[in-house]
Amino acid sequence: MTTQRQLQHLYWRAGFGPRPQDVAAGGRVADAWRQLWQDARAYAPITLPAAALEEPQGALLATLGAPASTSPPSPAPLKAAGMVTDVAADMAATMAGAPTMGVPGAPVAMLPPRSALRLGRTGLPQLRRADLTPEQRKQQNQARREAFIGISTAWMDLMSDGAGALREKVALFWHGHFACRVREPADSLRLLNTIRERALGRFQDLLLAVSQEPAMLRFLNNQQNRKQHPNENFAREVMELFTLGRGNYSETDVKEAARAFTGWSADAGGNFRFREREHDAGPKTLLGQTGPWDGQAALRILLEQPAAATFLTTKVYRFFVSDQPDPARIAPLAAAFRASGYDIGDLLTRVFTAPWFYEPAGMGALVKSPVALVAGLRRTLNLRVTNERLLLDYQKALGQTLFMPPNVAGWPGGRAWIDSSSLLLRLQLPGILFKNNDFTLRLKDDDDVLPQVGGRARQLRAGLATRLPLVPLQALLGATPTPEQPRRLAAFLLQAPIRPENLALVEEAATHALTPETRLRTTLVSLLSLPEYQLC
Amino acid sequence: MQRATERLAWVVVMQRAAKHDSPPHYLTPLTTMQRRHFLQSSALASTLLLVPRFLRALDRPEARLAARLRDAPGGEPRRLIVVQLGGGNDGLNTLVPFRNDLYFQARPTLALRSTDGLLPLSDELALHPAMKGLKDLFDQGQVAIANAVGYPNPDRSHFRAMDIWQTGSGAERTLSTGWLGRYLDSTCAAPGRPAAPAYQALELDDTLSLALKGARRTGLALRDPAKLHQLTQSRYLSRLSQESAAAPAVSEVDYLYKTLADAASSAEYLYEKTKAHPLGAGTYPQSAFGKSLKTTAELITSGVESRVYYLALSGFDTHVGQLGRQAQLLGELSAGLSALAADLRQAGEWVNTLVLVFSEFGRRVGQNASNGTDHGTANNVLLLSGGLRRAGLLNQPASLALADLDQGDLRYQLDFRSLYASVLADWLGADDQLVLGPGVEKLVGLV
Repeated sequence: MTTQRQLQHLYWRAGFGPRPQDVAAGGRVADAWRQLWQDARAYAPITLPAAALEEPQGALLATLGAPASTSPPSPAPLKAAGMVTDVAADMAATMAGAPTMGVPGAPVAMLPPRSALRLGRTGLPQLRRADLTPEQRKQQNQARREAFIGISTAWMDLMSDGAGALREKVALFWHGHFACRVREPADSLRLLNTIRERALGRFQDLLLAVSQEPAMLRFLNNQQNRKQHPNENFAREVMELFTLGRGNYSETDVKEAARAFTGWSADAGGNFRFREREHDAGPKTLLGQTGPWDGQAALRILLEQPAAATFLTTKVYRFFVSDQPDPARIAPLAAAFRASGYDIGDLLTRVFTAPWFYEPAGMGALVKSPVALVAGLRRTLNLRVTNERLLLDYQKALGQTLFMPPNVAGWPGGRAWIDSSSLLLRLQLPGILFKNNDFTLRLKDDDDVLPQVGGRARQLRAGLATRLPLVPLQALLGATPTPEQPRRLAAFLLQAPIRPENLALVEEAATHALTPETRLRTTLVSLLSLPEYQLC
Repeated sequence: MQRATERLAWVVVMQRAAKHDSPPHYLTPLTTMQRRHFLQSSALASTLLLVPRFLRALDRPEARLAARLRDAPGGEPRRLIVVQLGGGNDGLNTLVPFRNDLYFQARPTLALRSTDGLLPLSDELALHPAMKGLKDLFDQGQVAIANAVGYPNPDRSHFRAMDIWQTGSGAERTLSTGWLGRYLDSTCAAPGRPAAPAYQALELDDTLSLALKGARRTGLALRDPAKLHQLTQSRYLSRLSQESAAAPAVSEVDYLYKTLADAASSAEYLYEKTKAHPLGAGTYPQSAFGKSLKTTAELITSGVESRVYYLALSGFDTHVGQLGRQAQLLGELSAGLSALAADLRQAGEWVNTLVLVFSEFGRRVGQNASNGTDHGTANNVLLLSGGLRRAGLLNQPASLALADLDQGDLRYQLDFRSLYASVLADWLGADDQLVLGPGVEKLVGLV
């Protein structure tokens, strides 16, 4: 016999919460899981208009003269206007490797010469970022910020409204697992779609595809991993964070794996490229296996380790089940995951159909991430928001900005989301959204990818007010008598059981309402402002 | 980040080689053999190699004992104020090597000269002209300056570098807790001591930095005690948070209620304490940072027992048009700290207060083509207090000679974790090994 709370538990953990219509019909969790899986099978990439991802410097060459690095610093910096020189000749010179001039006598003069132009994504030469004028750099930052907002908004929409909530939830998990921060929105979007497409498939396919994403190769410095000068960063993180976890490999294994990954690189157009000349084809011994391993072979060897299945399953368990890993449950899951050939769907099915998953102690025992909190509000209440940009800022204030994980290890999650300040901000959000409560909030300027103009703190102000549609909830309530309504709504909105004294408080708050509508609205906002709502 | 790492390729290779011998994860103790080997094999990674002998603790137990014995004067609790200069302050134009030709060669239009009004601290070094207040404090023996502070294999990304400074991790590791958060953890780990309330560490902002987040305890962010109080006393919230802050949190929902109760009782405490705060004499800059400093001074002079305050001044990312912007920011910093020192001195609290000023990195030695500077590495760290044991310039500035630079960047001489360890052990009376892990050498006789 499935209870409503168990059904909702599945919708929260495998997605972003139940919609009233999901629970109205009742049904068994096993059926609901099958339906979630069916609904998530279709994959469509997130796309932005090409213009949104283009670097605004595409046309600069027509108006801009000598790149800054070829001219000595002068009190009057380059101005874009009115400087037309022979661009083609200049390009030919720099691309042919002609040394650029530096400041005579200054340490910068000793830096190795480099070409002033690089090939852009479109195949056209572009100025390097370092050589842009301040105004151009500002434009570029602004364009990139807009593109990231566009991608984040599109993804939040899929989480909040889409049928494939399961795919997006699992993709959000992998988004944190394969943490990556890069400046170029196009590369970030590519990586996201790679993750979304393979989120429910076989882990080795996902791992290989992510490992060959230009964003990841750049973020983990594999561009610098060359036969003569190996760079271990990529190999180390692939082993420590993506597959095995610390303690399951030696420093020698890192060095050998790094040799296997030499030559994995990306071209200027943002595509994976294997540079054979940079690849070390010699024999390597990785985790006891000797051979002329390349990157693909190295990944295969990593996944052959039983430790990989345990490491990955533990992470899945912590994200979807509980912050307190239970080895007795994880061990059989890990064994099955490995035996299935790392079939992610099979692992998730085992988790979401396990009887222990629906035990009362496990329900309402996970702190929602800021993304899950906001997407959950939107999804469960059928919200149509018009000010998603402000909501993204609010998520940032709560500690989670999509595409900007805190470091290579991703978001720590669980109780780490909560401190007194973030909790107070969470509790204020419903009042801000639905009662138009006034607030101002200073956002930290800690963003190297999208630095703020002038570097000063940004203020987030009121303007989030959103209409709360009551019809779906009224349908859910049906003929529930008025005094029973708070309890009924609490059962829908809260996975952690509401404390009796808080229910009394919610009921009392509603008694002052003059109309049934305001009573319902007041009850909703009271329930959503409870600490219990932070859990799922 | 990518450009910087390309430039650094050979250094990375070199340091990766050394890394094998460098301290492993901070929780793994080093054996004496490993440690000796590490010190011998990797001069680059030694934290204190170029620091004057008088500041080096090494393994002299008597030095450590002496530091422990000298507790706070009169039993007054000491406090730490951390000021974070966000964006990467240009240390070379803050503490200017104004007799070094290499400095002027590297910065044709940005170099500051005596004629600009530099404020000399020694024959070689002078403060930025906008830092008059700081110069006065220096002359009174209330400022100590550590030069070339950094860490091995420095990272030039703002975000990662700030992460490293806030967690105290170094470049090779990522930690999910902050160094001051772990300090809070360590204070509640001590047997017989009550759990620290959230107000033990305050950040003057709306959101809390990672630096103040521990595994079990976190600090409290606020901009204004009255506003925070008003929020927690709202009709709804105040009636929710009846949980005892001291009750153990077993379930997640208990944990949330405990956090809420802690915030409410901390807000209550701070509000009650500061309701009738004494008026300070200091004149603070009219800015968010000035306001934060003023609030800090009010909290302290009202008798609030917080041990840590965390403040940020941002905008130091001067790739473009550096001179005006940095002068304005350093002026704000100097005037603000000067006002704070005056207020605290008047209240008899300056001797119990230590201010640590850092930035996530310094900037490149050579200026760029936009009259600015790009992301660099090692930087100076300022310590201010009425109770410093050693004031003045603590060590030599980093060499600007081309051969000594790391691809155009300063090489670090002093690991920032050594400063943290000294502050933790000798100023806050904390167990620095518990907070930072073993293998971090302290500076003796500093604070």
